[in-house]
Amino acid sequence: MTEPTNTQPKLASSAGGSIYDLGYQGYQGRRLARRDVLLSLYGQTLRACYGIGRGARAKIVPFTLAGLALIPAIIAIGIAAIIAQAGPAGSRFDSISPIRYHTYASAIAVFVMLFCAAQAPELFGRDQRFGVLPLYFSRGLPRMDYAVARIGGLVGGLLVMVLVPQALLFIGRLLTAADPGTGWRLESPNLLPILLQGLLTVLLLGGIAAVIAAHTPRRAYATAAIIALFIVPPVIVELVTQTGRTGLGRYLVLLSPGDILEHTNGALFRTFADGPDVLGRDLPDVAYFVAVIAIIVLTFGLTIRRYRRIAV
Amino acid sequence: MPLISLASLTRRYGDVVALDGLTLDLEPGIIGLVGANGAGKSTLIKILLGLLSATSGEARVMDLDVRTQGAAIGRVVGYMPEHDCLPPDLTATDLVSHMGQMSGLPRGAARERTAEVLRHVGLYEERYRPIGTYSTGMKQRVKLAQALIHDPRLLLLDEPTNGLDPAGRDEMLELVHRTGTEFGIAVILASHLLGEIERVCDFLVALDGGHLLRAAPLVSFTSRTGVLAVEVDEGQDQLAAALTARGLTVVADGRLLLVALDDQGGYDLVRDSVVDLGLPLVRIEPRRHSLEDLFRDQAASA
Repeated sequence: MTEPTNTQPKLASSAGGSIYDLGYQGYQGRRLARRDVLLSLYGQTLRACYGIGRGARAKIVPFTLAGLALIPAIIAIGIAAIIAQAGPAGSRFDSISPIRYHTYASAIAVFVMLFCAAQAPELFGRDQRFGVLPLYFSRGLPRMDYAVARIGGLVGGLLVMVLVPQALLFIGRLLTAADPGTGWRLESPNLLPILLQGLLTVLLLGGIAAVIAAHTPRRAYATAAIIALFIVPPVIVELVTQTGRTGLGRYLVLLSPGDILEHTNGALFRTFADGPDVLGRDLPDVAYFVAVIAIIVLTFGLTIRRYRRIAV
Repeated sequence: MPLISLASLTRRYGDVVALDGLTLDLEPGIIGLVGANGAGKSTLIKILLGLLSATSGEARVMDLDVRTQGAAIGRVVGYMPEHDCLPPDLTATDLVSHMGQMSGLPRGAARERTAEVLRHVGLYEERYRPIGTYSTGMKQRVKLAQALIHDPRLLLLDEPTNGLDPAGRDEMLELVHRTGTEFGIAVILASHLLGEIERVCDFLVALDGGHLLRAAPLVSFTSRTGVLAVEVDEGQDQLAAALTARGLTVVADGRLLLVALDDQGGYDLVRDSVVDLGLPLVRIEPRRHSLEDLFRDQAASA
């Protein structure tokens, strides 16, 4: 017979104090596979993206920005509902409504950028700032998995912010359509461009934010650098293109995330009747898609490399 | 199967040699890793954990190669880093249970064990408070708890008493000792304080400048015959010369002469020498058996 060790608190006394011991227990239960650990870290990152699992103050910024991104959709649904009440005459107003699938991305772009600037340093800089990385990397969690989970969490969080308003807009327009069949016929062709543009937006902006935040543990610096990278290139592009659009200068636009996304947005939605006519399209569409994919691959590659090499 | 097995393990940082051809086999137990700052203790621990790679040589932990089986090692070891590693805005519960999941525990099991392990290290209601509000002693306990959450077979503790007051130091050492002896978890405890090693460890590995100074059971360090301290009012140098001439090893330490004794005969030699020289003797006393002295001798002769 072994003595039950965890029924009575045992006092382990020492010179300076006392420790009540209810018995250390071994663990013989199930252990997760590598993939499940990665998913668990991804889930934690996704929640941390919105400050869930952190204090109340950590939730203010992400929820405010995500909320702001939602407001245009709510207004648009309201307008659509009123127009539907107005009957056939309303359709004229519908065509001039400024909040549409293809204008949504650029309408909320500034909120998405601010979200990146505020939250990426939380996800990528925090563990470096407080020296937490050794705790992760000493547990058999591959550095690659850590980087992938963090990137995935940021991308996932951004995707929620970008796609939920569009989904709301889509459902709202379906519900206010004359009849469901007509509504689906009119609205559904937008689904693929919405999805693709949403993905490109979050991967491009998220990638840039991730690579900066991963290399800049100091939170304030990281936030400033991310905002600068979103704001400065368009200004330079604007200056250069004002002075002339000749030669290699034309390609400068491919360094400005905002401009690239405007163009991919235009290209993706153009096939529709109400698609935008993007002015000043000097480069073929494919150039913008190549640029966006190149930047995404580069930024994620550098982020992963950072975590593979960082000394802890 | 040895707990740790090193073969010509070397690590360089540029021109600096942090570990120089370490060859060593260690059996499970509570192992003290002792040496001054910069002796290579942390470097060795980090190589064992796969956080650093060796420049050359081999290292195996529980027969797992640190270069190729790092993930498997990570599952069976717990690591308490020397420096701060706790995010201040998380609660101890959240951090420890998250780290449990990162070690492969399912969420429910991680939660359950978190409460148990935090209790084991002596954290109760405060575990629901953000770590930023903790004292240094409480933070060290959280660091130990996160190293224990996944029920490791080996604990690697890098200066676990850093920044603690004497009482906190005692409690932490007691905790380490109990964890090692009662729960059968092997422990490697790095410290620059010999007194700590002396109290909790049963095996000692001494490093100096990246070299292996000595690896032996603790008993073999302290069971050696001690040192005799001799104090005379004057003629210290004469006495030292006389004792050296009679084949004893003598070191001056302030007003004291420290004489290394191999056997009881040494006492008579010292007494006779003092009498022969007619020196005013103040005292002859055996020095307290202190690991520190022996270690210093080792270091000096190495």
